[in-house]
Amino acid sequence: MKVFIADTWWVCWRELKHLQRQKIRIMLSLAQPIVWLALMGNLYQRIATIPGFPAPTYLDYMAPGIVIMVTLFGGVFGGMSVVWDRRLGFLQKMLASPVSRSSIVAGKMLSIAVQNGLQALLIFGLALAMGANFSAGPVGVFPLILLVTLLSMVFAGLSLALGAVLTSHEAMIAVTNFFTMPLMFTSSAMMPLEMMPHWLSRLARWNPLTYAIDPMRELFLHGWNAISIVQGVVVLTLAAAVAAVLATNLFKGHFT
Amino acid sequence: MEPIIVTEHLSKSYRGHILAVNRVSFEVYKGEIFGFLGPNGAGKSTTIHMLTTIIRPTGGKARVCGFEAIREPHLVRKNVGFVSQDIAVDEALTGRENLALQGRFYHLRTDVILHRVQELLALVDLTDRADHLVSTYSGGMRKRLDIAEGLIHRPSVLFLDEPTLGLDIQTRHRIWEYVKKLREEQGITIFLTTHYMDEADSLCDRIAIIDHGQIVALGPPGNLKECIGGDLLSIKLVPGRWDENALQRDIASLPGVEKVSPGPDGSFSLIVQKGESAAPGILAALGEMGLEIQSISLKRPSLDDVFLYFTGRELRDEGADNFHRTNIALRRARSQ
Ligand SMILES: Nc1ncnc2c1ncn2[C@@H]1O[C@H](COP(=O)(O)OP(=O)(O)OP(=O)(O)O)[C@@H](O)[C@H]1O
Ligand SMILES: [Mg+2]
Repeated sequence: MKVFIADTWWVCWRELKHLQRQKIRIMLSLAQPIVWLALMGNLYQRIATIPGFPAPTYLDYMAPGIVIMVTLFGGVFGGMSVVWDRRLGFLQKMLASPVSRSSIVAGKMLSIAVQNGLQALLIFGLALAMGANFSAGPVGVFPLILLVTLLSMVFAGLSLALGAVLTSHEAMIAVTNFFTMPLMFTSSAMMPLEMMPHWLSRLARWNPLTYAIDPMRELFLHGWNAISIVQGVVVLTLAAAVAAVLATNLFKGHFT
Repeated sequence: MEPIIVTEHLSKSYRGHILAVNRVSFEVYKGEIFGFLGPNGAGKSTTIHMLTTIIRPTGGKARVCGFEAIREPHLVRKNVGFVSQDIAVDEALTGRENLALQGRFYHLRTDVILHRVQELLALVDLTDRADHLVSTYSGGMRKRLDIAEGLIHRPSVLFLDEPTLGLDIQTRHRIWEYVKKLREEQGITIFLTTHYMDEADSLCDRIAIIDHGQIVALGPPGNLKECIGGDLLSIKLVPGRWDENALQRDIASLPGVEKVSPGPDGSFSLIVQKGESAAPGILAALGEMGLEIQSISLKRPSLDDVFLYFTGRELRDEGADNFHRTNIALRRARSQ
């Protein structure tokens, strides 16, 4: 176990170093949420005036949505680094070393979670600065970040599973794009469940995104809702664990 | 001599039908430099990947450092170092960070890592550039760093997959020196693959020639050359009216001649015992037959000739060099 944690940390350390040394990636990951917040906050203001819309302003409603969107996009490309490592031969090098296969998966998942957690924190700050309302108070930021990191691990895990099987970037991008948008639109990120057609809201209940968004939105709009938070954390933890086990097994099956 | 690697009918087939390695059995002794020599696609890398537990064999057995590669991969991993054919260093890290990270992957203690990193940087002459990003290194520097990484945990066996592919002559010779130094100073067993004849010849204690996934010859370079059974005498005759088959028989009956094979345009390749002393007699005899000789050459067999002898094909360094770029691109595209 101690070995697993150390291995995971060093795999993660390498990913974070990459991030740290790629200034452009850092800059873009800062700029992206700013652009989105500005767009959503201003352009779609009038949606909030539709009768039945559950929030006073669209910004209040969308701030958690943007956190989720950024997390989703960050997470789903998490497997890309494996494809790179394989191409460069670095993956083979790791596989020839005693590093456990599960640590390779866990380390990469962790690095993405750290990255997305920080990004979410930033968006949160920005949204508040732009006048969004956060009902849960300062401590509410902890469950918020927890939900974000869990969610990003779910998608990073799935993406890593994909990366264990697919060997080309093109294929990775194609498959990822195919799933990302539908995932977004079959969740409650854009529209509340109550405003969706019946079939869609049923689909949304199977979407892990919904389990992050709903408790987050509660935190923004209404304050603490323990049931919704616990439910979200449990579902997402299970989903992340399943994704990690899946990815690890695909790795093992493909190599040793 | 004590074997440190033993394989029995080791095989790997991809997708059930591409037989990359076909029932190879061999032993590598402790402390030797053992070379796998073969053309592109012969199965060299696949064999190394099985011995380093990166891929699972589809048949046969392999014992490395006393452990079963299939059943105890984690124990094999601790004891062997692997330097892949692709230069697998992390460009976004410095040389020192690369080495230290590798030490972490092998679960070494922090103080041990600090010490060894220093030592290895000196070994491969990279101390000056240790804190620069690898993206600023030349190809040769990267390869040296890569080799150093394979040594961080003081493995008993070091696998080097084409350690000098695409490097210039000087860098190749320096890498040979490192390899020899490692064996002398640390007694490491080295298993390397190459398709450079001179490399196999001057570096390896024993060589296995592998072609189409099978070992076709194995032994010290000197013995392999002796297999040919003599020196190589090539004779080219001025075109005339002689019968090739009759002449071949006549030449074969001359003293010292072991084997004759006709080539194009009136040329004949002879295998001759004690070439220097036998050649004048052979030439004189040809003269007596009324044949005019255009040119001759006499040489001791090289590994090229050995390769040709065992596979019926030539393996030339130039060809390998021209191949090298496409080959890397191909390999990356197919990966694993
Ligand atoms: N992942 C793979 N899937 C399918 N076939 C493969 C795979 N890897 C290797 N092969 C095939 O196995 C054979 C042996 O390949 P290998 O890489 O071991 O050759 P090699 O001797 O190392 O050649 P080179 O000098 O080009 O490195 C080749 O025919 C190759 O096409
Ligand atoms: Mg190879």
